[in-house]
Amino acid sequence: MASKFPPAKESRSIGRSFVLTIPIAIWSALMFTAYAHANRSQWIASLITVVFEVVLFFMMVRTRSTYRWRRWFFVALGLLFPVGFIHEVISMRGTMGIPIEEMIAGRTPFCFIPIPLLILPAALTKMLVFPGSILPNGGMSGGGMAAMAGIWLAVTIVVGKGWCSYACFFGGIEEGVASVPPRARVRKIDPRWRYGPWAVFLAMVLLSLALFEPAYCMWLCPFKAVSEYVAARNTVGVVQNGIFVVLFAGLVIALPLLTKKRTQCAFFCPFGAFQSIFNKTSVFDVRIDKSRCTPCVLCQKSCPTLSLTEESIASGKTLMSCMKCGACVDACPRDAAVWHIRGTEVSAKPERARLMFLYAAWAMAIMFGGGIIAEGLATMLHIFV
Amino acid sequence: MKLSANFGYLGAGLTLLAAALAPFSLYGLFTKGFSSLGLRVSETYSGGPLVRTIQSAGYTIGIHQRVSPNMLQREKAFVQLDWKPASALPAHVSDRVDIDGDGKPDVNVRFDVPKDPKASLSVNVESLDPLYEDMRNVGKEKFSALIVRVDNAILVRVPLAQ
Repeated sequence: MASKFPPAKESRSIGRSFVLTIPIAIWSALMFTAYAHANRSQWIASLITVVFEVVLFFMMVRTRSTYRWRRWFFVALGLLFPVGFIHEVISMRGTMGIPIEEMIAGRTPFCFIPIPLLILPAALTKMLVFPGSILPNGGMSGGGMAAMAGIWLAVTIVVGKGWCSYACFFGGIEEGVASVPPRARVRKIDPRWRYGPWAVFLAMVLLSLALFEPAYCMWLCPFKAVSEYVAARNTVGVVQNGIFVVLFAGLVIALPLLTKKRTQCAFFCPFGAFQSIFNKTSVFDVRIDKSRCTPCVLCQKSCPTLSLTEESIASGKTLMSCMKCGACVDACPRDAAVWHIRGTEVSAKPERARLMFLYAAWAMAIMFGGGIIAEGLATMLHIFV
Repeated sequence: MKLSANFGYLGAGLTLLAAALAPFSLYGLFTKGFSSLGLRVSETYSGGPLVRTIQSAGYTIGIHQRVSPNMLQREKAFVQLDWKPASALPAHVSDRVDIDGDGKPDVNVRFDVPKDPKASLSVNVESLDPLYEDMRNVGKEKFSALIVRVDNAILVRVPLAQ
């Protein structure tokens, strides 16, 4: 039966892979001019980053495999973001804690996670419940909330929920941790945990409106433990920081080690839930070709966010929480899990759909994450070399 | 090829075009669009708009509009007063401030100005009008009752009695 199908993931020729990589090499070089500055360590770090990005794309094209190569980029992004960021905040303030003075001055760096929490208060009062700056010259990197909102919208239009696999500078940490153990110790996970991000999202949106503060950033963000936190001015601050550390240890370290899943993304992240909505607007998705599927459920087992169920496999679709990481496509021995362009037949040229998606997603990953990787590398070069 | 497939490939092509334009025009366009929405940072953080300035000996005292809490916000209503430039302030500041502009002082604010800009500050506020709360050796525990140095200004937030 298996011989009826071509061997999975037959390699593309080196020459053809090289030609297909040229657009990304040009794109990387263009972005390189944006983040290579005068400093020698930044220049070397940028060059390493460009080579890294281009080689990974070449390997994705040559091996027809997405997940394992994308993972290198994503884990590097997750690990190097805190290096560059923490170094920057400590150089500027001497601490990872945000002093109240910086909040009042509107100099709190703004990440993408609070974006959905700001919408309701902004719609009702025209006020942004975040102690940052709207215009450039706010934040630490010269970009305020408007800049982050602009980047988020541009990337979201292109990759939808793919943000969580190609742009999120936090997800790489747990993806890296989840890849450490050879096999999962906890295999049975109650599927109802999948609703966790929606519950957190709803609670945080309502709390942000009621308390008029970015409730998730103030109380629940596990990544405060590796970026910056509210300076503990009083008992409440100590409690907040304790919650950040416990959630980071549990959701980003312990549970990914036990389950080999991205547990923070799959069960907790409110931004991920919000971003799922944009899977409905994205032209690219992952489908199951029912004519090829046995079903062996290897795709379901490989999915880091539980975005495949037996029912969804039977219907030939992933759930809306799918972040297009490509794990299921790589795991399928019969090429039944495929990249797909909406409107086309599922079996029609899945490799063409994969390449079109990858050009778009990798361009966004390089644009947004490339600079972060280069900055983290430059910091390491600056400190250790 | 079916019409829906044509639309699918058209969408994919447009997505690639959007990706190519993202760093050069789309990102800037969206950033400008966001900036032009007329949104403001919550006044709990920003302190509200400046409404009046009082000239003192070598420095000014800026008086901001009263900031009221929204919904279930944990902070009290407050008024922010700015002393600036901090470099021109005497070692000890004691000012009677007319916040509402009715010609009568509303609060008496006293604080020391250490030479080290990173040194912690504390403020005493004596309320001369029942609308304002007293403050005794207050640092920076709450957004609605604090003294902080921000750049070359010292900001004092006086909470309003409920």
